[in-house]
Amino acid sequence: MRIFAVDTGGTFTDMAAYDSSQNRIVCSKSLTTYDDLTDGILTTFDKSGVVLAGEGIFKHGTTIVINALLQRSASGIALVTTRGFRDVLEMARGNRPVPFDLFYERSAPLVPRELRYEIDERMDGQGKVLRPPRRDEVDALAGELKALGIAAVAVSFLNSYINPEHEQLVGEWLRAALPDVFVTCGTDLTREWYEYERTATAAANAYVGPQMNGYVRLLGAKLTYRDFTGKFYLMGSNGGVVSADRALREPIMLVESGPVGGCIGAAAYARDLGIDNVLAFDMGGTTAKCALIEKGQFDVKPVYYVGGYDYGFPVRGAVIDIVEVSAGGGSIAWLDETRRLHLGPRSAGSTPGPACYGRGGTEPTITDANAVLGRISPDAFLGGEMHLDIAAAQRAINDKIVKPYGLVGESELLRMAAGMISIATVIMAGSIKRVSVERGRDPRDYALFAYGGGGPLHAVDLARELHIPTVIVPPEPGNFSAIGMLLADVRRDRAETVILPLVDASLQRIGSEFQRLEALLREELQSETGSSEIATERQAEMRYRGQVHSLLTPCQNFGDVAELRRVFEDLYLRRYGHVEQKNPVEIVSLHVIGRTSVGKPDLASLRAESPAGEPSRRVCMVYFAGSAAKLATAVYRRHELPDGFTADGPALIQEYGSTTLVGVGDHFTVGRLGEIRITVGGA
Amino acid sequence: MADHLQLPPQPVGEIDPITLEILRHALQAIPDEIESDVSRTAYSPLIYEYKDYAIGLIDTEGRLIAHSRGGIPLFMANVLGLAILDGLVCYRRDEIHPGDVFISNWSETFGQHLNNVTMYTPIYADDEGRELIAFMAVLTHWMDVGGRYVGSSASNDTTDIWQEGIQFRSVKIRSRGEPVPEMYRIIEINTRFPEMVLGDLAAQLSACIKGRALYENLLRRYGKDVVTCATHTIWKQSAEAAAAAVRSIPDGTYQASAFLDNDGVVMDKRIIIDISVKIDGERFIVDFSNVSEQVRGPFNSGYFGGGMSAARLAFKYLTTPMEATNQGSFAPLEIILPDGKFMSARPGAALARYGSPLPTVIDTILKAMAPAVPERVIAAHHGQAGSHRFQGKLDNGRLFSNLDTAHGGWGASQGRDGAGPFKTVSHGDTRDVPVEMQESAYPLRIDHIGFKTDTGGPGEFRGGLGVEKRYTVLNACNLTVTFVRHDCPAWGLLGGGGGSSAIIEIHRASGEKLGPFLKVCDIELWKDDRVVIITGGGGGYKSAHLRDPQRVAGDVMRGLVSTDAARGIYGVAITPQFTVDEAATARLRAAAGDLL
Repeated sequence: MRIFAVDTGGTFTDMAAYDSSQNRIVCSKSLTTYDDLTDGILTTFDKSGVVLAGEGIFKHGTTIVINALLQRSASGIALVTTRGFRDVLEMARGNRPVPFDLFYERSAPLVPRELRYEIDERMDGQGKVLRPPRRDEVDALAGELKALGIAAVAVSFLNSYINPEHEQLVGEWLRAALPDVFVTCGTDLTREWYEYERTATAAANAYVGPQMNGYVRLLGAKLTYRDFTGKFYLMGSNGGVVSADRALREPIMLVESGPVGGCIGAAAYARDLGIDNVLAFDMGGTTAKCALIEKGQFDVKPVYYVGGYDYGFPVRGAVIDIVEVSAGGGSIAWLDETRRLHLGPRSAGSTPGPACYGRGGTEPTITDANAVLGRISPDAFLGGEMHLDIAAAQRAINDKIVKPYGLVGESELLRMAAGMISIATVIMAGSIKRVSVERGRDPRDYALFAYGGGGPLHAVDLARELHIPTVIVPPEPGNFSAIGMLLADVRRDRAETVILPLVDASLQRIGSEFQRLEALLREELQSETGSSEIATERQAEMRYRGQVHSLLTPCQNFGDVAELRRVFEDLYLRRYGHVEQKNPVEIVSLHVIGRTSVGKPDLASLRAESPAGEPSRRVCMVYFAGSAAKLATAVYRRHELPDGFTADGPALIQEYGSTTLVGVGDHFTVGRLGEIRITVGGA
Repeated sequence: MADHLQLPPQPVGEIDPITLEILRHALQAIPDEIESDVSRTAYSPLIYEYKDYAIGLIDTEGRLIAHSRGGIPLFMANVLGLAILDGLVCYRRDEIHPGDVFISNWSETFGQHLNNVTMYTPIYADDEGRELIAFMAVLTHWMDVGGRYVGSSASNDTTDIWQEGIQFRSVKIRSRGEPVPEMYRIIEINTRFPEMVLGDLAAQLSACIKGRALYENLLRRYGKDVVTCATHTIWKQSAEAAAAAVRSIPDGTYQASAFLDNDGVVMDKRIIIDISVKIDGERFIVDFSNVSEQVRGPFNSGYFGGGMSAARLAFKYLTTPMEATNQGSFAPLEIILPDGKFMSARPGAALARYGSPLPTVIDTILKAMAPAVPERVIAAHHGQAGSHRFQGKLDNGRLFSNLDTAHGGWGASQGRDGAGPFKTVSHGDTRDVPVEMQESAYPLRIDHIGFKTDTGGPGEFRGGLGVEKRYTVLNACNLTVTFVRHDCPAWGLLGGGGGSSAIIEIHRASGEKLGPFLKVCDIELWKDDRVVIITGGGGGYKSAHLRDPQRVAGDVMRGLVSTDAARGIYGVAITPQFTVDEAATARLRAAAGDLL
């Protein structure tokens, strides 16, 4: 079995390849090629000498969907709605999330008003037909769309969540009349209520459909040209891969394709290491991301805002529950006119990059603070491929922060650099609190699993801030997203709004609805993968009657109503701190997750043999804020550390693409999968 | 005015800039975290969609340490702090204990409708509960607190506060951590929706308790003195930022006026909103001396809940809109507002619709300031809460109340057409109730919801459009509608035209037509009656004849402006293919120029 995983990111395209016959993983990195993204993908193979020809599985994560939506790079998209509702897409929910800005404006709708059409059909609020659609009206519309040269059409009707018949019918008619046009229905993508959210999802799917089709076909052709004869999957936002065929129909499922790989990897490690509770923490150049993993599973959320909640629009569908904050290595620290110190959201990116990259950057970034404090070595950055200019980093922090505060001297420079790190830590801790404390979890019960270029360097600071006792750094943290993708299952989520009181009389209906959803999922997954080994999982959104928000509650094997209520109330209590024993509970929607494995590597294959011989140990001076001084700190090379190696902090462990910092009072051990496990002192 | 709202002269002690920033994040995180819990556990759509709540940390002087980002901005005039200050009048310090929880909606502290119930709990600096240092406070809009009308505040014609529900003047619902069962019994029998109100109360209570714990953690970790010093420094910085924004406004006295149609009871008398703003260096003085006296109907508000709230909101829009809100944000603001005006009503006045006039008051302050800071204001917006509420019995006999409010067009400004549809300047992240949810839950069908052509104020930059919404009633129920701004629609700026007014009509199944009207109270509707609500548009910016004809053509193609209006108002001739007839346009605009 051969598996290839390629993750196209903003700066780098990462590749990881696994071959079971050699039980070995090869990683490779190359610059992302914006003119034709497939070039960068193939370069990673050429660089590493990995041959595509033959059977295997190709998994691909891409930002093409989110970029198309953010950059608005498509045109000629139409929307068809129920008569009287074409403006729903533009009116949104009438809210202003930025409360005191008189000039607030939501980003423009994906489909302008002149391309939003109405059809005379109507379903009532209970799913009963009031007026069926007429074929002649739809055919006339199709003629108009054809004359306009429309590339894609979304169909979204009121109350279709409860009865999708009209929507499906009109979708079929349009497909028949417009064979070259991408046609999508809201209920193909989500069966949950709220007309604006569903319409926005359908419009977004139509919006990216034509581009995604072009891209997937191009990459497919290039793979075929290289004699790859295996299967092609894309990384879905729900934490599983989807077949290329499905990705062509439902490209919106790839909206958060990028950061998912790392979470899958973290979950796999946590399972293998027997750690129930893990916080996956990924820090890159511009942002830090965090997700909660329990018993090897991460949560998905039912809605994702493209462009953020404040200005963007929602997309319905399972999206892995990741909280992202603007704090990365390139985040710029700055003083406002009242001399308040801020960090981000502006980032130096890769051009000009942090001041210490020596490419003309003059603004102080987190990477510069790390360089000034001695936490990254000037000669060991990216395996020595890039030399860091420490003087430039010092200059940037001195000019922009130390001097404006009226301070002078090296100790103030160090104090301010350490302060920048502290602020980054607080911001990142905020993201961890949002995925843990706000969901009723105590971060102290979790291990912090750190990866990405900056994750291992900041993990112990963050752990100390949150009193997290253990930090784990996997092998190849800088390439972890692609590695995680190697491990991804094929996954499909289905959810339907079904409002039922949680009473004995509903049990039969609940059971039969679940079975129906499971049968649908099995059929879909089987046709996608050819495998009949499909695992399913049941969940339900539940709430107290009268509430609108609900909690996703696992209901795998419940015996009776009382037991299901108890599961719900345990979750509710944990999350909100109280329950309402007197109030009736109801089910709002049923969710089923289907998974099937397409083969995955053994985690132990991720690292080379445990090295023999004594690892080398250098000493350098690193500033620690807690001691307010530079301390002699051991420096190790990660690939020289054998299994079971153990030492006390302070220490730096260097490798290509990342440095792990072990603080004063901390202690680390190299585990059986090659992971670095840090026991955090004072946490 | 209002001594207890003043800042301490100087922060105590010094704080290093790093710790300050860390505490700034940490303090703001507390109400923000609580906010997501409140909106997710609430029963009332007024909380989970409308965000009719306020969450804050208040010090023992009633000053605002941190305030949630979401929620209704109107509460920033410190409804929370005022409730607590009154509590400190009702109870001696030695009568307040750790674990106590109070509620207050007394009309005389703040002067808003009685649905706004503030709950608060004391926070102590030490584990023994000796040094009272702050309060965690959460206000939510309770669905119903009794009174004449379902929903308590859904009134157009109450004439005193006792018709509008029950009042609590800082009473304990928990004492030393234990519930006070008597209070729960009183609450339960004084509301029409006990299940919802008690559910919301539970959400409010856990929010108070959780927020208290979060603040205690912060005190324990950083020490009381450091947290206090950080708080005072943050206030000072916010005050400085606000002062800097005021200094950049040219000195002078600026005036504007507007009015509301009537007070719901005395139908032929307008409510006058005549305002002047004096800028004097760092001082921003809003003078309300010439607004109407207190009215008989329910459109009154108290000094803080009315005049001060509106002034603070307008001030925030004009000075530091993107900054977090705290006690310092309003330091340069002063108001002159004699007792007994409709925004400073005396005890006993009817307050149910206290919020209805305030968007117009805020619009008027912005209008006054337009000549001084044209780049900071927009033309007037549709300007009304425009509540419309259907209530009746469901098939299963349960009482229902489906409240919605107007969203309409916002004003245009230099370079930008008016946005929207949004609710009013008094609202923030307030979401509409989806049609699908309404049709699933209530005996109503919504046949249409969309932009209404030609409702946006004409201008070089056009005002945002009003919205037309059409309901069909599926089962007998009652309707209450409250609109206030028909004769004084959204005005334009610098020669821009006004937006159109809201219109409400009822078309009976029998063929009878009622309206247009602005206000009705509990009118009976029967099966297949139809209700049409068209909200107002926003004002335009500069003369319509300056608008780029291509933009007019785009508006016509999109159905936002009619061909007739393009010709008659914008002076642009549009062909059936939606292109500009250049020659005809030149003639039209030249002819209009001759008239000028």
